[in-house]
Amino acid sequence: MNKFETVILLTPDISTTIVDKEEEFFLNSILKNEGKIINQEDWGLRDLSYNIKNYKKAFYKFYQIEINGSKIQDIKKNLSQNEKIMRHLFVKVETHQELPTKMIKNEEK
Amino acid sequence: MKKNKNNKFKHKDDRKNSPFEERKRFCPFSQKNSPKIDYKDTKLLSRYISEKGKITPSRITNISSKKQKQLAQAIKRARFLSLISYTHKNFY
Repeated sequence: MNKFETVILLTPDISTTIVDKEEEFFLNSILKNEGKIINQEDWGLRDLSYNIKNYKKAFYKFYQIEINGSKIQDIKKNLSQNEKIMRHLFVKVETHQELPTKMIKNEEK
Repeated sequence: MKKNKNNKFKHKDDRKNSPFEERKRFCPFSQKNSPKIDYKDTKLLSRYISEKGKITPSRITNISSKKQKQLAQAIKRARFLSLISYTHKNFY
């Protein structure tokens, strides 16, 4: 079991109920692969700094998870096949940061 | 020859006290209380990006090679997530 940070970008043209559904879809896929969700953070609808698939905004979701590294490949496959998920990033970390992340702290200032 | 050598040594001594000599500079990430490099911290990363969005070389910012590698990785991650532009600097 290793610690990972993940960030997911969702397309902006979907309603909040579908956003929640996609979130569940992702979280379930982690739980199926014997992973744990330790923390999560919602960065909300943010402006992109360049257009992705002609979208100018995206929903940002941030998670801190614990999972076996070899099982991430399957999860990545599922995410890339989902049209509503524009980007996803998995980063291995040694220790999880304390929330809130600097992303939100900077915005408050 | 001897004279030349002596001159060189004198020159070095002069340098130490001269006001034109640059002070010893330190890596901004290797000190105590220095910030941690993080791809989510766009404010910090934008300090080390040129106006065209390029990563500034370490000889200008004086970052150690170990930290420069981490910084470059963090900037590339932030670019992928569209937190930072590839082509110009964000002004926030």
